[in-house]
Amino acid sequence: MDILRELYNMTAFGAIVAQPGVLLMLLVGFVLLYLGIAKKYEPLLLVPIAFGVILANLPGGGMGVVPAEMVELEDGRYLNLFEIGSQYGIMNYLYYALIKTGFLPPIIFMGVGALTDFGPMLRNLRLAFFGAAAQIGIFSVLFGALAMGFTLQEAGALGIIGGADGPTAIYTTILLAPHLLGPIAIAAYSYMALVPVIVPLVANALMTKKEFKINMKQQDKLYPSGYQIKNIKLVKILFPIVLGVIVALFVPSSVPLLGMLLFGNLIKELGTLTSRLADAATGPIMNTATIFLGLAVGGTMTHDVFLDTRTIGIIVGGFLAFAISIGGGILAVKFYNLFNKKKINPLIGATGLSAVPMASRVANELALKHDSSNHVLQYCMASNISGVIGSAVAAGVLISMLS
Amino acid sequence: MNEYMQEAWTLLGVGMVTVFIILLVVVLIGNAIIAFVNRYFPESEIEKAATVRSFGNSRMAAITAAVNMVTRGKGRITKVERK
Repeated sequence: MDILRELYNMTAFGAIVAQPGVLLMLLVGFVLLYLGIAKKYEPLLLVPIAFGVILANLPGGGMGVVPAEMVELEDGRYLNLFEIGSQYGIMNYLYYALIKTGFLPPIIFMGVGALTDFGPMLRNLRLAFFGAAAQIGIFSVLFGALAMGFTLQEAGALGIIGGADGPTAIYTTILLAPHLLGPIAIAAYSYMALVPVIVPLVANALMTKKEFKINMKQQDKLYPSGYQIKNIKLVKILFPIVLGVIVALFVPSSVPLLGMLLFGNLIKELGTLTSRLADAATGPIMNTATIFLGLAVGGTMTHDVFLDTRTIGIIVGGFLAFAISIGGGILAVKFYNLFNKKKINPLIGATGLSAVPMASRVANELALKHDSSNHVLQYCMASNISGVIGSAVAAGVLISMLS
Repeated sequence: MNEYMQEAWTLLGVGMVTVFIILLVVVLIGNAIIAFVNRYFPESEIEKAATVRSFGNSRMAAITAAVNMVTRGKGRITKVERK
C-alpha cells in the first residue's frame, strides 16, 4: 500500500486533484493550440504560447513563472539569474532574463522593421495621419478599465491592446503591469488574429455603401498629388535614420521599440550592403525571439494567476480598445471627407491599426467586395505602417506617464 | 477613483496630441527628405523607363519577382534584352 502511495505521490495526479484549476488551464492551452493549428490564428505566436500554458500548468514540472515577489530580496534587489534558474527552473530563467528585462519585444521589432516597407507610406504621406486617429482606443478604454477596478497602470497595459501590436503590448505590460502579461498577450494576439472578423464588423456598422465604393485611384486621377519621388531607394535609406533621431527627441521612452524598428528597416533598405544582417534579423533572431517570447508568456499563465475575474475584464476591455481604434480611424476619415474635395475611402482609417499587413488585406477585400476595381491595398498600407509608429509612440506616452 | 479618472483624461489628451504631433513630424520629415532627394539626388529614370516601356509593366513585375525569389532579394536587374 505504501508503495502505491509513493507511486501516486510521485506522479502529478495528486496535485491535479488538489488543484483542479490546472485542468481548466490545460483546457485553455489545448483550445489555444487548436486555434493556432486548425484555425491558423497567428500560429507562430499562439502555438508557443499555448504550449507554454500547458507546460506551466503541468503540476510538478516547475515550468510556471513565479511572481516577481518570489525572486525579490529584502533590499529591493533581485536574485541573480543563476539563482533564479536553479531555484525555479528554466522557464523562470527565460522569463526573468528575456521578458522581464524588456529584451525580446524590441528584438522582435527589429525583425518587423526589416520586414517593413515604408514605400507605400512615403508615396501617400498624408494618409499617415489616420494611423494617429486609430490609437484612440488605447486611451479611451482607460476609463472603462478604471471603472472595472483596474489600477491606472493596469488600465494602461490593457488599453495598449487597442494598438493591435503584440510586441508593443507585451513591452508596455512588462513595464506597467507584469502580473497581467499572460492574459494581455493572449488578448492582443487573439484580436490581431480576429482582424478579418473585427474590421468588417466595425466598418459595416460605421460606413455607408457609398463610402465603401470610394475609389482611391479615381480620386488620385481627379486630384493628383503634388509630388513624385525621384529616388525612392535613397529616400527609404534616409527616412529611418532621420525619423529615429527626431522621434527620440520628442518621445525618448519609445526609443527601445521605434529605434529597433527603424534600425531593422535601415538594414533592409541598405540592400546587399547589409543583407546578411537583415537576413539574420528577420530569420534566426526573430524566430528564436518568437519561440522564447511565446513560451515564456505562456509560462506566466498559471491557474492561480489566469483564473481570475480580471482576465474576463481584460478580454472585454481589449476588444473594446480594438474596436474603438478601428472606429476612430474610420470616423477620422469621414470627418476629413467633410472638408475636402478629394475623398478618402474610410477603410483606410480602419487600417490605422498596427496589424500589418492583415488589416490592409482585409480592408482591400472589403473594398473589392463593393467594387471589383477598387484596389485600396497600397493606400491602406500607408496608414497601417504609420499605425505601427503611432502605437509605439502611444506606448511610450503610457510608459513615461505611468511607470 | 475621481483622481484616477482625472489622470485618464490627461492621458487621453496628452497621448493623442503626442501621437498626432509625431505623425505630423513623420509627414514633415518624409516630405523634407523627398524634396531634398528630388533636388540633389534624382535617380536617372531614362534607362529604367525605356526597359519598362519595351517589356510592359506586368512582364517587368514578373521578372523582378522571379529575380527577387531566386536571389532572396539580393539580386538587382541591370539590363533586360530581347533575344
